[in-house]
Parts: sequence; C-alpha cells; structure tokens
Amino acid sequence: MAALLRGLRAGRTLRGLCSVVSAPPAANPQCSGLTRGIHCAALRLQDESKSDKPPPSSSSTTHHEHYQTHSAEQASTSDPAAEEASRPNTSYQDQSGEQGEEYETEEQLQVRILNAALEFVPLHGWSMEAIAAGAETLDLSSASTGMFYNGAGDLVLHFVSHCNSQLTEILAEQHKQVQLGQAEQKRTADFLRDAVETRLRMHIPYIESWPQAMSILLLPHNIPNSLKHLSTLVDDIWFYAGDRSTDMNWYTKRAALTGIYNTTELVMVQDSSTDFQDTWNFLDNRIQDVVNMAGTAKQVQSTGEAVVQGLMGAAFTLKNLTGLNQKR
Amino acid sequence: LTHQVTGNITPDYGYLFTVTSVQNTTLVNNSRAYSVLPPPRDSEEKEMLDRMLRVDHAGEYGANRIYAGQMAVLGRSRTGPLIQEMWDQEKKHLEKFNEILAENRVRPTALLPLWNIAGFVLGASSALLGKEGAMACTVAVEESISEHYNSQIRALMEKDPERYTELLQVSNKEFRDDEMEHHDTGLEHDAESIPGYWLLKKRYTTGCKAAIYVSQRV
Repeated sequence: MAALLRGLRAGRTLRGLCSVVSAPPAANPQCSGLTRGIHCAALRLQDESKSDKPPPSSSSTTHHEHYQTHSAEQASTSDPAAEEASRPNTSYQDQSGEQGEEYETEEQLQVRILNAALEFVPLHGWSMEAIAAGAETLDLSSASTGMFYNGAGDLVLHFVSHCNSQLTEILAEQHKQVQLGQAEQKRTADFLRDAVETRLRMHIPYIESWPQAMSILLLPHNIPNSLKHLSTLVDDIWFYAGDRSTDMNWYTKRAALTGIYNTTELVMVQDSSTDFQDTWNFLDNRIQDVVNMAGTAKQVQSTGEAVVQGLMGAAFTLKNLTGLNQKR
Repeated sequence: LTHQVTGNITPDYGYLFTVTSVQNTTLVNNSRAYSVLPPPRDSEEKEMLDRMLRVDHAGEYGANRIYAGQMAVLGRSRTGPLIQEMWDQEKKHLEKFNEILAENRVRPTALLPLWNIAGFVLGASSALLGKEGAMACTVAVEESISEHYNSQIRALMEKDPERYTELLQVSNKEFRDDEMEHHDTGLEHDAESIPGYWLLKKRYTTGCKAAIYVSQRV
C-alpha cells in the first residue's frame, strides 16, 4: 500500500517534470525552468522518500509549493514573456527563500492589467487601446493584450463584476451593522432604492462611454456572462433586502428588480441633470410602482377570497331556504 | 426601539424565517454553528447541492399538494384523519426544506406553479377512485420519493459521508423514513385491492420520475 502511494507520487512528479519540459519556448525561461524543475523534482523525490519521517523542513515545503505553482503556471500561461517581465528576480535555487508572494497566477495578472486599464477608459473608450495603455502603466509590453481573447468584453465584464462585488461588500457591511444593532433596518423599498442607486453611481466616472459598454455587453458572445452578472447582482440585493421566499415570489421579485435596474440604467446614460437627480426620481417612481402593484395584487387576492366566501354563504342560505338542507 | 441581536445560534429546527424581518436572517456565508449544510467548497459542489435541494423541495411541495387534493375529496370520509396525518408530516418536511433553501440561497424550481396544479389534480383524481385509489397513489408516489432519497443518500455517501452527515441525517434519512412509513401505511390500507393497481402505480411512478428529472434542471 505504501509502495503504491510512493509510486503514485513518483508518477505525479514525472508528469510535473514533463509539463515543465513542454512549456512554451523562450530561451532563458526554459533553461532555467528546466534546471529549476529538475532541482525541485529531485528535492521532491528526496522528500517523498523521507515521508515516513517527521514532516519536511519548511524550506523544502516552500520548494514543493514553488514547484507546484510554477508548473501550473507554466502549463497554463499563454504569455510567458509578460510573466517573466512582471515577476521580480528571485532565486529559486535559494533554499531559504520566501514562499509565494512574488508569484501570481495568470488571472491575477489579468485583473491587475484590467484595473489599470480602467483609468484609460475615459480617454480610449472600452477597447483594446485602453487595455494596452493599462498594461504599459504596469511596465508590461502592450502585446500582453494578447491575453485577452475577448478584448473590450473582458474589460467591461471585469468592471461589472468588480462593481457587483463592491456592492455586495457594502450591503454585507450594512447588514452587519443592523445585526449588531448599530443601525436601523430600512424599509424594503428604501433598501432597494439605496442599493440600486449605490450600484449605478459606480458608473458615474465612466458615464460618457457607458453606452458603448452596454452595447458590448449585449454582443451575443457576452450575453451569457452579462446575464449571469445581472442575475447575481439582483439576487444579492434581494437577499440583503431580506427576501427568503421559496416559491414563485422568488422569480417575480427578481424579475421586477431586473426591470427596474435596467430601465434606470438606460435613463441614467441620457440624463443631464445635476448629480443625476432625474435618474433617482425615476428610480423612486419605478420602485413605488412595484410596491403598489404588489399591494394591489394582495388586495385582489383577499377581495377574491372574500367574494368566494360570500358566494358560498349565499348558496348555503339558499339551500336552507329551499329546504334542501334538511335532514329527515 | 428594540433591536434583535441574532448572535445567538439556536439549534431549534422549528425556527422559521419571516420574510419581512431581516433580523432573523443568517449571514451570507452561513456561519451558523448548527446549519444542515456545510459551506460549499467550490461552485461544482454548490451546484450539485443546489440541484439536490431544489428537487427535494419540489418533491415535498408536490407531495403537499397531492395530499391536499386527496383531502379535498376524501376529507370528510373515514380515511380523512389518516390522510390528514400524513399531510401534516409532509407539511413539516416542506417547512424544513423552505428553511434550508432560504439559508443556502438556493433557487426554487421555476415549475412550482405547475407542480401546484398537477399535484392537486393528481391527488383529487386518485381520491375520486375511492379510498383504494388514494392509497394506491400514495404508495406509488411515496415509493418514488423514497427511491429518490435513497439515491441521494448514496450519492452523498459516495462523495464524502462526514462532510454531509447533518444533511444526510436530517433531511434524507429522517424524511426518507417518514416517506417509507407513508408507503407502508398506504399498503396497509388496501392500496393493492384496486383493480388495475399495477397500471396505475406504473403511471404514477413514471410521472414522478419525470417530475424529478425536470425539477433538477429547471
């Protein structure tokens, strides 16, 4: 059993080695990568053989992790030049070296570039030029835009998900305040209004180019992602507003809020009043509409029930009057 | 001004949420010490759990409506109290699933109105066939639900029994045992004596299987 495990581990190591060897060509990284890889693999095998003994020392553990993240990176990266340029010079031969903070995954790098690119959106619009300009501020070559297969779509989607997570943080913070008793619970309508307003205000710095962003989000290949972001946004807002329904209300509430959010967004892009006051008024009115509709629906239901009761009572009375109800 | 501090965590499962009051809600990451579900490790697991809970919830909802249909027809007959008792147990199950769904932010199935009507019609039509018809329907439906719970238990045990003990214990094992009890009650009360029992049962079980399949996805 132990031999089998050791064999499996050895197999994994060899597979890792192969991934290092087959990494995309770039003369220096590959050679040093190979030597690093072999060195790490050797260390790892050495470590495996000591597995029955007390846990490995911290330096060889860090090498494990170095090795694992490194091989994962090598296997997944599509732009080693950018990675190499952005990674500071650390010596992997150094046994007592620090672990991992210098490493970043490709995703983290993309996030950094996109965040930097947001500054240039007012200038270049939502486009590859903005991404390239952002990459350059990070001392990366503008060719690193090749990482973004979806181009401007990546930038817009990143911005949208960034805003959504900011909103979720704000709502969670407010929720905590309420739970701790430090703040009062808002009425649902007010809560929704504040949440949508907060979220839409995040568009203000980019409002000039927001129509372009909206049209990018409506491109067919972006629609699944943008719908996903929209639905998580609406779900989060309703969750923090206190919705715990598990029936059709779940769907109707979210549909209503989606409608409110989208129409308000549209109003916002062509609003020229000071501080978008027209937009917030529009939002107020729409939320009031939904509240009224919900109230009306409830009224209709209770009226209906009362009418049915009345009819049943009348039928019963009639039966009594005509003597059909008598038991002989 | 009174503020409810919800830092206290109660293991009482009769604890209900009210939609209008946010103070009774749990935090996003489900930090209650006694929650039924473990916080999901990744989106795959969350999806799997979501699907299971969604279909369980739909099942209990449907069963609820079936018994309501049966009661509407047979409520005043001799079997009324028996059906009422089984219905009450199903109501409890439904409540529990409502709780779990709300806690874990699981989307309920979009076909709920359909199950509402279909369940009621099924219950009422089976009850119109008489007491034996109602019992036959109960037997068939409870059999498919128990089978479904069993396959869920198997799936969860295969994955990681310790991680899901609470879920397995409460929702699956306890409820499955209740459903099996209903199944046996149905058999005791002459379900099999109805003519065409086999055909009826087959139809009901196929219908249930289709409903389960669809509810997992929609």
